[in-house]
Amino acid sequence: MDFLDIVSSMLLLAGVFFGFSGAVGLFRFPDFFTRVHAASVTDSIAAILIIGGLLLQTSFDLNTAKLVFILLFLLVTSPTASHALAKSARHGGLLTLAESSSQDKQESAK
Amino acid sequence: MHIVKWTVVLSIFWLLLSGYIEPLLLSFGAISVVVVLLVLKRMDKVENEPGHIGTSLRLIRYAPWLIGQIFSSGLHVTKLIWGSPDKVSPALAKISAKDIPPSSRVLYANSITLTPGTLSVDLEEGEVTVHALQESSIAELEEGQMEKKITAIWGENK
Repeated sequence: MDFLDIVSSMLLLAGVFFGFSGAVGLFRFPDFFTRVHAASVTDSIAAILIIGGLLLQTSFDLNTAKLVFILLFLLVTSPTASHALAKSARHGGLLTLAESSSQDKQESAK
Repeated sequence: MHIVKWTVVLSIFWLLLSGYIEPLLLSFGAISVVVVLLVLKRMDKVENEPGHIGTSLRLIRYAPWLIGQIFSSGLHVTKLIWGSPDKVSPALAKISAKDIPPSSRVLYANSITLTPGTLSVDLEEGEVTVHALQESSIAELEEGQMEKKITAIWGENK
């Protein structure tokens, strides 16, 4: 096992950890908007680490170029998808945690 | 002439994705490049500003910094996930993006979303509505480090 293999498996393991954390956060966070934040951990860090680890496993040929393309496209499309989700939730009238709790207080005051 | 630029970029893209140097497959590639260029030419008439391919040198200056930001804020969010997820203090704020050239505002909004902990909800008239997991990240954005970085790299062309 040479040096590149060790670095690559460390990157892959770290990527798996962050991907898993994102999934756990998706369940543990309280509302929709905060859950999108948890998902963005998986989107960004885990994707960079896992593809970075895979890059070191290639023999620097066409597969390397393909992996770089995948990473570039992920880095452009995943925030766009999160943005579209959040924007439609906002325009659909979903309140954030702070807003809905202040509304609850107003209702209980009545 | 941006058609020539696109021809080169698309041809290289095809070659990298296919990897076969055979007459049959190369001719398929040539045909698809020509089809895309025809569509591009027709679309240029509809939309008055032709799609420019920026020099990627700017991206090379920006990407490492952004990846650093992604890691530092991602570690922070991961700590929140495993620590005490109920203690988040979500905040919503409007952040001005007026200093950033209009063509780079999408990049700014996307960079905000890409860094964990902040999420761009809306982009209107040079103002980005940002939802953050913690109020401190809003203050950090208002400080304008990311804004300055983007204006410094992309601001000089307009």
